[in-house]
Amino acid sequence: MADPTPDPKHIGDRSLATGYSALVHRLSVILTVAVFPLIWVGGLVTTYDAGMAVPDWPGTYGWNMFAYPASTWLFGPFDLLVEHSHRLLGTLAGLLSIALVVAAFRNDGRPWFRRWTLLLLLAVIAQGALGGARVLLDERTVAMIHGCTGPLFFAMAAATAVMSSRWWIERPAAEASSQTALGQNATGPFLCWLASSLLVASYLQLIVGAQLRHVTGSVPHSLFKGFVHMHLGLAGLVALIASGLLLTCIFNGGLPARVRRAVFLVFAAVLLQIALGIGTWIVNYALPWAELNAWLASYTISAKGYWESLVVTAHVATGALIISLSTVVALRAWRSRATSTQVPAN
Amino acid sequence: MRRRSSGFSPQGQGGAEVKHAVALGQADSCSAIPRNQIEMFLVWKFRHLASRGLPARWQTATRAAAFRALIVVGSLLTMAVGCNRQQPSFEPNRVLAKRLELSESVPMEQATADVGQALEVLFGTPDTPKWPEFLDGEQPLISRERLARAGGAVSSDEEGRHFGLFREHCVSCHGTNGDGLGPTAALLNPYPRDFRLGKFKFKSTPIGSKPTRDDLKQLLLRGVVGTSMPSFSLLEDEDLEALTDYVIYLSIRGELERRLLNEAALELDFDGGERVFDEAAKESDPELYAEQMLHIQSQTQRIAKQWSEAESQVVAIEGPPAELPVGRWVDLRAAESINLSQMPDALEQSIARGKQLFQGNVASCAFCHGPEGAGDGQQNNYDEWTRDWTLGFDPRDPEALSPMLEEGALKPRNILPRNLRLGVFRGGSSPADLYRRIVFGIEGTPMPALPMKPDNPQGLTANQVWDIVNYLLNLSDDSLSTATTSDLEGSSQAKNG
Ligand code: HEC
Ligand code: HEC
Repeated sequence: MADPTPDPKHIGDRSLATGYSALVHRLSVILTVAVFPLIWVGGLVTTYDAGMAVPDWPGTYGWNMFAYPASTWLFGPFDLLVEHSHRLLGTLAGLLSIALVVAAFRNDGRPWFRRWTLLLLLAVIAQGALGGARVLLDERTVAMIHGCTGPLFFAMAAATAVMSSRWWIERPAAEASSQTALGQNATGPFLCWLASSLLVASYLQLIVGAQLRHVTGSVPHSLFKGFVHMHLGLAGLVALIASGLLLTCIFNGGLPARVRRAVFLVFAAVLLQIALGIGTWIVNYALPWAELNAWLASYTISAKGYWESLVVTAHVATGALIISLSTVVALRAWRSRATSTQVPAN
Repeated sequence: MRRRSSGFSPQGQGGAEVKHAVALGQADSCSAIPRNQIEMFLVWKFRHLASRGLPARWQTATRAAAFRALIVVGSLLTMAVGCNRQQPSFEPNRVLAKRLELSESVPMEQATADVGQALEVLFGTPDTPKWPEFLDGEQPLISRERLARAGGAVSSDEEGRHFGLFREHCVSCHGTNGDGLGPTAALLNPYPRDFRLGKFKFKSTPIGSKPTRDDLKQLLLRGVVGTSMPSFSLLEDEDLEALTDYVIYLSIRGELERRLLNEAALELDFDGGERVFDEAAKESDPELYAEQMLHIQSQTQRIAKQWSEAESQVVAIEGPPAELPVGRWVDLRAAESINLSQMPDALEQSIARGKQLFQGNVASCAFCHGPEGAGDGQQNNYDEWTRDWTLGFDPRDPEALSPMLEEGALKPRNILPRNLRLGVFRGGSSPADLYRRIVFGIEGTPMPALPMKPDNPQGLTANQVWDIVNYLLNLSDDSLSTATTSDLEGSSQAKNG
């Protein structure tokens, strides 16, 4: 027999060493929410080629980063604004991670979770250092790696938010027992594996996308073409997996609402991402069949244009969002499966 | 230098090399395993397997696709190791060298290397572009300061000034040396321009002349509508000036390279030990070195002279006569508040005459553009950027193509006559722009210059060309909706001529 389901009412903030801590959860949600704009601004840095707008690191034109006069960067050139605010936001993410570690060590009894928060802190430090290396080495390859690991940190933050939630700690058992009592389907292994494969596919997709975005003059055109075909192929795969998840959710009414909602969100994000991807190609390179359509024939790309930059950066940010959302889906799916299999069907 | 020597190493094992390279000031993180070696290994391995394992009829088809996939995977792997870095360098014109090697049956390796050396002496490298001193005339074509700003690596300063402009804005399409073989090139239509032929389409000078600085700058401001060539109107004026310098620089450099390679293939006696350029001779045989250098200099000067002369070759356009309205008729309505349903007679008649000329034998526009201008005439031509390297063989012949494609050439595509009914023109849509296009043709494409009176008794008159302009401007299916006030400005500009 399984353990009796803990009654939520009995669990205060610290009543159970392994129980839910509102502080830890809130901090991790805030961290996740704070990382999304960080990713946007990071995307803008690349879109505007502002990566070398500040030549030193961790200082800013010789100043301490925090003392750098706002009049210079806030009202200065756009590149400087973008690069400096990316650095400040990055620091904020670092500080939040530190707070999270402290909170976890004081309030969360799960040893693996504490270690996880430490890992999270390490990750943010490494990410900051990579950003610094990009500047110090003036190296576009490092910029690309930094761009690939950023979304990874975003996904880790989202995972932390999921794993510190009340639902994660308390609900699945309750839900599972009520489901099995009603004779409904619990989360099946298919959904779990599908969700995990979405995570893997969308991250691969992001890496290939970074190859296209951080392209340098030394890349042969056959290679770039190969990457484009790969990006298209993976886009199809991601869309297929996301559709599979959606259909599973539609036909399996017994899935926990948390899993279903996250699946709907990730599916919507994938649709948006496909549209943004097509848009990104058009505003960067135009379509090779411009004369098919009067609008395309009369469109002139505006380099560094407002809409152009917005579309491209949104494509980057949505890519990161999909990875985070599929992390959420996968974690929730595995969790509800793990807890539901603990409860024997009767 | 101090901050560089802090030598942060992002990738574990490569770290030692990185630090070493950084200490040397090269910041080349890839000295250990160049990506190409890994790729070459994969390519070799794959060919090896393919030639053993697969039935013959499978080989060619599968090979190409699987081959590319392998290269991509290989690069992904090496990227993960952080070894993507290559010092940017000006690649030699391999496609031309290959073509000469095949058509003239001469080995081109030595010549290619020599020419590369000469070019580096004169023009430097992508990181430190040079401008030869012997080209400094009274009116310098290029400023070294602007050249330095456009070249080099991308960065910006506290004032928001950008550096490394060509690498920031152009390289992905036009390639480091302006060969139009940048990474994105294969997927664009039309292909990005190869500056090395020194031929440009949209300019105020006739075919055979270089564009003026202002032509290039206007092109950068305007972009090329309907193609991947963007408008850079949001850049600072000084950025555009620097980029203009850089285009001229690359074009002259590339044209010189072509001349020297051609000379080497056609004139030099390789077996007799003749060389285009031999830097070692500077010490061993100063006389020979001076001779070689002098020849290269004079060739360079010839090309540069064409650029300096462009300004004087601009053909001023006399506007249409006062009694002939030119433009889209909706503009006239806006300008003179005429009733929409009554197109002014003079314009209507001009359009009708224009149509006749368009379909007639002298202008023979319809031969290519089709009787209604829909672009459905002759379809099987090639532009000169393609003909240049397909000289002597049929561009559709895969056997003959394959050695060229291996050197990086792009698959030949037919240049199609434009569909003129779309109401947008790549070289600008003002009447003056169209007049120029019609009279001068479009360099590098089959679109010919028009025979004109009085030079050619069978030719057309300026007024007849304005009739064709009127016909073109009113040809588009929805010219009413696409006409804008800028068209109006264009037409008044033409009148002021
Ligand atoms: C996204 C790809 C792309 C980028 C980026 C790009 N170009 Fe182009 N460019 C093209 C294409 C495609 C053409 C050919 C247009 C045609 O043939 O009609 C072209 C043509 C040109 C031409 C020749 C125009 C003529 O009259 O023949 C010049 C000069 C030029 N580009 C300069 C630049 C410069 C300078 C930059 C950077 C500031 C730049 N381009 C960036 C794609 C690009
Ligand atoms: C031998 C074939 C040929 C003939 C004859 C010809 N054209 Fe063209 N024309 C072309 C091609 C090819 C292009 C596309 C060039 C390009 O894409 O750069 C073109 C492009 C154009 C353009 C587009 C210019 C722009 O700025 O976009 C106009 C306008 C035009 N032609 C008008 C005419 C007129 C008017 C005539 C008759 C006087 C004519 N053409 C005769 C082949 C031809």
